[in-house]
Amino acid sequence: MTTERIIEQLGAAPLADDGNITGGVWWLALTDDRDVVVRREARATLVVVDGVGAHDMNVDIMAGAQLRILHVVTEHSASQIAVAVAEGASCRVTEIVVAASDTRIVASLMERGARFELGGAFILTDEDKASVAVDVNHLAEECTSNTSYKGVASGRSHGSFSGLVYVAPGAQRTDSVQSSRNITIGDARIETLPQLEIYADDVKCSHGATVGQMDGDAVLYMRQRGLDLTTAKRLQIEGFVGDVILHSAVEGVEELLSELVAGKLNRL
Amino acid sequence: MLKVENLHATVGDKEILKGINLEVKAGEVHAIMGPNGSGKSTLASVLAGNEKFTVTEGKVEFEGEDLLKLPIEERALKGLFLGFQYPVEIPGVTMANFMKIAVNEQRKYRGLEPLTAAEYLKMMREKSAIVELDSKLTSRAVNEGFSGGEKKKNEIFQMAMLNPKLAILDETDSGLDIDALRIVATGVTRLKTPENATVVITHYQRLLDYIVPDYVHVLYKGRIIYTGDKSLALKLEKEGYDWLINEYEK
Repeated sequence: MTTERIIEQLGAAPLADDGNITGGVWWLALTDDRDVVVRREARATLVVVDGVGAHDMNVDIMAGAQLRILHVVTEHSASQIAVAVAEGASCRVTEIVVAASDTRIVASLMERGARFELGGAFILTDEDKASVAVDVNHLAEECTSNTSYKGVASGRSHGSFSGLVYVAPGAQRTDSVQSSRNITIGDARIETLPQLEIYADDVKCSHGATVGQMDGDAVLYMRQRGLDLTTAKRLQIEGFVGDVILHSAVEGVEELLSELVAGKLNRL
Repeated sequence: MLKVENLHATVGDKEILKGINLEVKAGEVHAIMGPNGSGKSTLASVLAGNEKFTVTEGKVEFEGEDLLKLPIEERALKGLFLGFQYPVEIPGVTMANFMKIAVNEQRKYRGLEPLTAAEYLKMMREKSAIVELDSKLTSRAVNEGFSGGEKKKNEIFQMAMLNPKLAILDETDSGLDIDALRIVATGVTRLKTPENATVVITHYQRLLDYIVPDYVHVLYKGRIIYTGDKSLALKLEKEGYDWLINEYEK
């Protein structure tokens, strides 16, 4: 299993039941509901691997702490990860979904200067059905969030992305970016629903969403250099989602993540 | 090497090539000139195998083989290279990775082992020097964020990597400042051998100061209406196409 090798490569230890993090690299198989607390000023990395079934996780990131999360969904699962980020703290998430599933991330920026960043990708093939949601709640002043999600669907699969950015009254000088980019192949379908709800007047929010087909010109270009059609399409998709891995919040496992993605792309 | 006979091609229901005849031998450089819309880029695309165009009549032989029945990638593997007028951006795919796959596909086709990482790096260094391509660009995504000049240099870099028998360069000089033009053209000249051939499609005589053609063809309304030597390009630069077109229309 690639996820086991990721954990090994990072030298991560299983997270203790009390869910208390003061630093270091940890992993967690999400097979029960869990609570996690990242202590003040801690620097930590957490690898979360969804188990089969429906599970929730609540993460409290205390003031000044920095948490990086790698969330890998390789099984049929339904998970919700709620992250509350305190003053000056940050949470950076990389999410890779390669199985039929239902995942939701809820990030609440509770206090001034909290930051949230997410780079995600879902890759669906065959009959996969997956829905991905990212809700970002700006509840205090001067918080920033950046969500970038890529989706690829082939075969008869069906994917959906829903992204909500909520800016509470008084959450002034919010800075939020959200983008959802998707490629469908053949009969597959992807829906994307980006939403903004803004109740403050001094904010900078942008969002964008696209669903498109393969870029025919790029495929032609690659074939002219001697790549066959399958390789060219594959490379284009790899590049498209590779962006997420290239900018992964968890450094050092890019190659293994690419491998995880490549394994799924073989089925496109 | 290349023998085009009575080539007709359409896009949609519009006929663009209306009977092209052209023979290119090893060691030769051919320039194709002509007014806008005469079919120059279409000819390049059809030879490369772009499926947007339909060949309705005629024959193309490449190295003794029927080129038209081959898919795009096989034409490439057999040694036909097209330098694109508008090189395409491929986000997330690094130049180095892209070329590694392309070079190794070609080696596989020729029954050779793939290059080792060290061999490949050495090759990239040597070839990027030919067009003074900043080596940092090879670790960036294909053509993404490249300037106009870098994109064209990058085309010639790829040509150097793939070492084609026949290179068709579609307006490789357009949009280049004088320094980039010199670098690109010098690169092409350095890659020239008695075994390969080059077809340059261009609007401007200035490129031909560097890449000296053996033949200059004028394409008009889908046909080659005149063929001359390099002095023809100079005359066209001075006098335009009208005198040729008038003669042809008579």
